[in-house]
Amino acid sequence: MIFKAARWLREIGVLGMNRRNAEYIMRFNPRSFFPLVDDKLKTKQLAKAHQIPTPILYHVIEHHGDIGELQELVKDHQEFVVKPARGAGGSGIILVSEHSEEGFTKQNGEVIPLKDLTYHISDILSGIYSLEGLEDRAFIEALVHPNTVFDAITYLGVPDIRIIVYRGVPVMSMVRLPTRASDGKANLHRGAIGVGIDMGEGTTLEGVHHSRIVSHHPDTNKPVTGIQVPHWENMLLIAARTGDMTGLDYLGVDLVIDRDQGPLLLELNARPGLQIQLANQAGLLGRFELIDNAPPEIFSTPEMRVAWALDTFSARTPS
Amino acid sequence: MKRPTLLLVAVLLVLSFALISYRIIWLKYPILPAARERVWRLSMDARVKGGERETTVMIGLPSIHRDQMIAEERIRSGTISFNLLREGLNQIGVWSGTISPEGETIGYGATIKVRPQRSIKNRMQNLQPYPSSVGREEQELARRLVRKWDSLPPPDRLQRIVAAAKGFLGIPLPEDEDVRQWSAFQEKHSQLEAFLLLLRAGDLPARVVEGLQLADSIANSTITWIEVWTGQEWEHLQPEKGEIYQKPAPFLALTTGLPVVRVVNGELSEIRWTLNRLIISQWRMQFERIMSSNQFLDRWSLFRLPADFQGTFRILILVPIGALMICLLRNIVGFPTFGVFLPVLMALAFRNTGLAYGLGVFWGVVLLGYVVRRQIDKLRLLLVPRLSVILTLVILCIIFFALLGNKIGLREFMAVGLLPFVILTMTIERFFVIMEEAGPREALWTAVGSAGVAVITYKILQLEPLQLTFFVYPELLLVVAAIQVLVGRYTGYRFLELFRFRGFRGSS
Repeated sequence: MIFKAARWLREIGVLGMNRRNAEYIMRFNPRSFFPLVDDKLKTKQLAKAHQIPTPILYHVIEHHGDIGELQELVKDHQEFVVKPARGAGGSGIILVSEHSEEGFTKQNGEVIPLKDLTYHISDILSGIYSLEGLEDRAFIEALVHPNTVFDAITYLGVPDIRIIVYRGVPVMSMVRLPTRASDGKANLHRGAIGVGIDMGEGTTLEGVHHSRIVSHHPDTNKPVTGIQVPHWENMLLIAARTGDMTGLDYLGVDLVIDRDQGPLLLELNARPGLQIQLANQAGLLGRFELIDNAPPEIFSTPEMRVAWALDTFSARTPS
Repeated sequence: MKRPTLLLVAVLLVLSFALISYRIIWLKYPILPAARERVWRLSMDARVKGGERETTVMIGLPSIHRDQMIAEERIRSGTISFNLLREGLNQIGVWSGTISPEGETIGYGATIKVRPQRSIKNRMQNLQPYPSSVGREEQELARRLVRKWDSLPPPDRLQRIVAAAKGFLGIPLPEDEDVRQWSAFQEKHSQLEAFLLLLRAGDLPARVVEGLQLADSIANSTITWIEVWTGQEWEHLQPEKGEIYQKPAPFLALTTGLPVVRVVNGELSEIRWTLNRLIISQWRMQFERIMSSNQFLDRWSLFRLPADFQGTFRILILVPIGALMICLLRNIVGFPTFGVFLPVLMALAFRNTGLAYGLGVFWGVVLLGYVVRRQIDKLRLLLVPRLSVILTLVILCIIFFALLGNKIGLREFMAVGLLPFVILTMTIERFFVIMEEAGPREALWTAVGSAGVAVITYKILQLEPLQLTFFVYPELLLVVAAIQVLVGRYTGYRFLELFRFRGFRGSS
């Protein structure tokens, strides 16, 4: 039974954790490039240099002494997001939609007093949310206003688009929809839904929620399938360019679609999760092998890589 | 799998195999050091009385040879001095000194492992000279008596000669004159001499051996037998009745061609030999030999460490197996654990507390710590002071358990002091973070995974045969490393991933 299940997964080209670590992350992602993606501020700088849009950076807080000026720093911005530069898995992120003397109103309506927010930033600086527990920086950036296309299937929070890029070629992607359980966060292990996207057409497929396949959002009860994702090719192009930008050949690219600014790069991940395969009902391994066997000329420009991917990785194409 | 990986694995395995083979083949290490084996415990006690002049007592002691291993030798020599002497094949203990009027007690003890005799091919044994008490004519008589069997193979010749010594002179019968002379010889000499004479005349190498019967026994004297070389092996011949013992002959040889006990200027008022059958682990037989050996690997053996450190290393040497267990559970099965080393350290702590109490105390402290950590969260302490508070709490818990244990007389509770408190502190923090970020399900799974690995590791650390085997052959760690390398290159699915990806359509 066990061997049968394993053989079956191999046949449909599902990528497992061990193979991901040993044969893709270690082989294609040189350790020395990790800081570029592990530190969101560094990613932002890099993206700026390559004309890839990201949410507007308001402030960087590096020292505990600067936290006292928080109110002064945000007085021009009613809404903003506080993030740890090296946070993993969406931890330590607070979305503020408005603030006054009483305190800061979080996106979910909860009001937290100033001292709670300064405490939180102090935690960030101490490295509580950072990957290796090292001292960290906090930064404040513009709150994204998500495109309304996913409104019906989003419970608070901001849905984002995850695109896996292998050797500069977009391979697979999904929309991550926050749920009540995920507290507005778009991270699957916190209970968000991942909905696969047909690479060729940019339309949503079915979703995965805690390893279960779902066709409706659990909180809004609206179907998640068949939605046309806006700016689709543009996003694939941004994703394809991040490979050149970072020197990493196996990346998870996280984007949001702002109502006004269009696709914005949120962060990059050098150890992208594997759940995306369930959302797409397709294996990464099979698609990686297709890329490895692709004609060499398709790798010359990001545009050509995207064009090849659009042709090759439609959900209807067997892989 | 990549070639360099396989090459490294092969090198590790070959190196380990070579070292172990060297130890087993050249240094005669036991293949299974932890296996039990039957040995004999010999002890000799004697009372020596002496005169004015210096007394010397020479007693044959068992010697090390290919069929026999000696270990744990102990000498008792009182106020006189002791020396060891080799005389031919024999190992002679020499006690010498001036003995007080009330006498002196001397003694010897050893553990002896008798290995089954294997046949030796094509080894020549020298013929001994004729017994000194036998004259020229008698030698010729003996030749005449046995000549007719010269063409027989040695074992058959031995049979005929033994019969002849007992009076059956064989067909064709010798001349009457020879028969008469032979009975005259037998009257004059002992049966032992008759055997030796005929064996020599029949070209069969023979020797007189003194020693003890191998049986649980107490004896005041040794016994004598004749060993006859039949081209392949030594046959044991009972010197009075001429019986040939079945193999393996139940004897412990002490001296060959010499009396066991010789005393100059004094006498042995009493001597007692005791033999007991014992069952011990094979490594005990190695212990002293290794201690006194000059072989390179023996000198670098862990047995050479001071005894009080050996215990530590017997445990330490198994820790890599615990780490291997964690590799297997994480990468092959896919169980989550709190960090890599926490379960190993927990397992080490369990050795003092026992499994049930160890697990109970551990998770008791972690859960209490978690509750406190939740409360502390509201105080908004900075990271390092907050961890310090948790650490203090952990130490307080441990003190509380120790006092409680003392009150109710539970040693296991007092042993919690050796639990890795730093690891406990970090576990509380990790548990809290996983609980907050990934929810109670994930946190509980991780807790169960950690505890499971810790229990498995503990069970492995407690396996005494494994401890001994690794202690005798530390190079087995190279095999462990080889397996770790192999697990490190395992790129197949983890067992739990089969469940994780069960949502793929069409999968069963």
